Amino acid sequence: MLRAARRSALYLTLSFIAVLAIFPFVLMVLTSLKQGGAVLTRLSELIPKNPTFRNFIEVWVADSFGIYFRNTAIITAAVIVGNIVLDSMVAYALSRKSFLGKKAMFLVIIARMMIPIQVLIIPIYVLMHWLQLYDTLAALILPTLVQGFGIFLLKQYFDGIPRSLDEAAIMDGANDFQILWRIIMPLARPAIAVLIINTALTSWNAFLLPLILTSSQGTRTLSLGLALYSSRFGVDFINQMAASSISALPILAIFLVFQRQIISGLTKGAVKQ
Amino acid sequence: MANRDKWSTFVLLSPWIVTFIAFSLYPVAYSLYLSFTKYNPLAGQAPRFIGLSNYLGILNDPAFWQAVKNTVIFVVGTIPVTTGIAIILAVFLNQRIRFRSFFRASYFVPVMTSVVVISTIFTYIYSPFGLLNSFLNLFGLPGRNWLLSTEFALPAIMVMMIWASFGYYTVLFLAGLQNIPQEIYESAEIDGANSVQQFFRITLPLLRPMLIFALVINTIRSFQIFSQIFVMTQGGPLGSTRTVVYYLYTMGFQKFKMGYASGIAYLLFLIILVFSVIQMKTLSYEEQFYGR
Repeated sequence: MLRAARRSALYLTLSFIAVLAIFPFVLMVLTSLKQGGAVLTRLSELIPKNPTFRNFIEVWVADSFGIYFRNTAIITAAVIVGNIVLDSMVAYALSRKSFLGKKAMFLVIIARMMIPIQVLIIPIYVLMHWLQLYDTLAALILPTLVQGFGIFLLKQYFDGIPRSLDEAAIMDGANDFQILWRIIMPLARPAIAVLIINTALTSWNAFLLPLILTSSQGTRTLSLGLALYSSRFGVDFINQMAASSISALPILAIFLVFQRQIISGLTKGAVKQ
Repeated sequence: MANRDKWSTFVLLSPWIVTFIAFSLYPVAYSLYLSFTKYNPLAGQAPRFIGLSNYLGILNDPAFWQAVKNTVIFVVGTIPVTTGIAIILAVFLNQRIRFRSFFRASYFVPVMTSVVVISTIFTYIYSPFGLLNSFLNLFGLPGRNWLLSTEFALPAIMVMMIWASFGYYTVLFLAGLQNIPQEIYESAEIDGANSVQQFFRITLPLLRPMLIFALVINTIRSFQIFSQIFVMTQGGPLGSTRTVVYYLYTMGFQKFKMGYASGIAYLLFLIILVFSVIQMKTLSYEEQFYGR
């Protein structure tokens, strides 16, 4: 009897918190579908009476969120591809090659991850002006094209792939790039998946770099566009919720599908220490 | 052959060398240099060396200290709560229960979403006609304009961030708990240990490495709180939600006092470093306590 009561209390607590975690997003979607003007919210008015997608069209076209979406997609894709191609090269060298200063380099990569980005942004801002890349998408892609996290992750994984495989390939006359691309990378798929998840998420949601490195609407990202939109049009909550949905729903949809992989990917680095 | 190998290694390392110099080494060195200069890029002048003036100015700047105070309140007020909730939920989820992956996934949804989206939604919830006030009205409690109150704006943002991040740490701790062999609990049960004793004598000590990791990560992240402030309050009302990074941003990118802002950045770095070291030291001191 006591046991049953305890179990139902347990399920009740867990479910209550689940509702709490998801509810704001339900609110976001429901509000985004409301007719314009219905700003006031009472609990009883939660569900839109005549749902409409008009807010989405308005935000997408008139408020340029279509452009922001495109920019964010381009940046995210470029950063993912860049990190896969470039991090893997560096990780391969760290895992398979011996060279002067290898240990020091590894330590530097770890130490670099401890430095808060705020220390770096002013010089990066100056550098982008000097390179005449200020207010371009390239300015947002380049600083995150190679990341210590990805190098570290892939290096650890490459270390676990038997060297006898590369030796056999060397006998057949393969060079380093062929070994990396034909043998190691196909075996490292799980690590690459983790890398993709992490870079996609941080890149899609990035805010500080777009804020300081762009100035025009044509280069804005979703996060930046939404932040400026929310802080400027303080009360237009319906359109803000539509804009928020445009930013959040792609990620949440992907999360729904790859939930298990994403959760284990995002916590793996921590568990394995 | 040996030469070719060296060349190949160099090519493999080149992406890191180039980006490390451009986006890590040069910025770290240059912002340290800038912190000893007066520099306004809009004025079209080169940085002018002024010694320790920026640091002295910052340390005598009441707005900076207010920002430090707000940030420390945020860090100290959120991290224990987030960690506590996460540990309890992880212990709950680690039992033999149904729908575990559903619960886990739903707690993780806020973690996936950008802080800007979360801040926008909560600005709506906290607004005078928002959901929080209409919920309070149900119980006859008065509502208020949460984000425009010097008293409540910071706590409101703190509650939001606890909500936004507990899922990450829950999942982290759950993964840690699942690594603890079940036999330890079984033998403890045979020895007559109740569940509270089991929690303090087995779960917590064995979870400690992950706990340290979580606390350090969360501290680093929390000290950098910025986008929430940018979207929700712009540091107001009356500076009551101004954080160190928000202050750095206004100094560097609104007033273009980039030398001064660089000094703030380095002080922030120092504060984060000190806090992280203290955490790692005190928590591994307890290690001797548990006789590990």
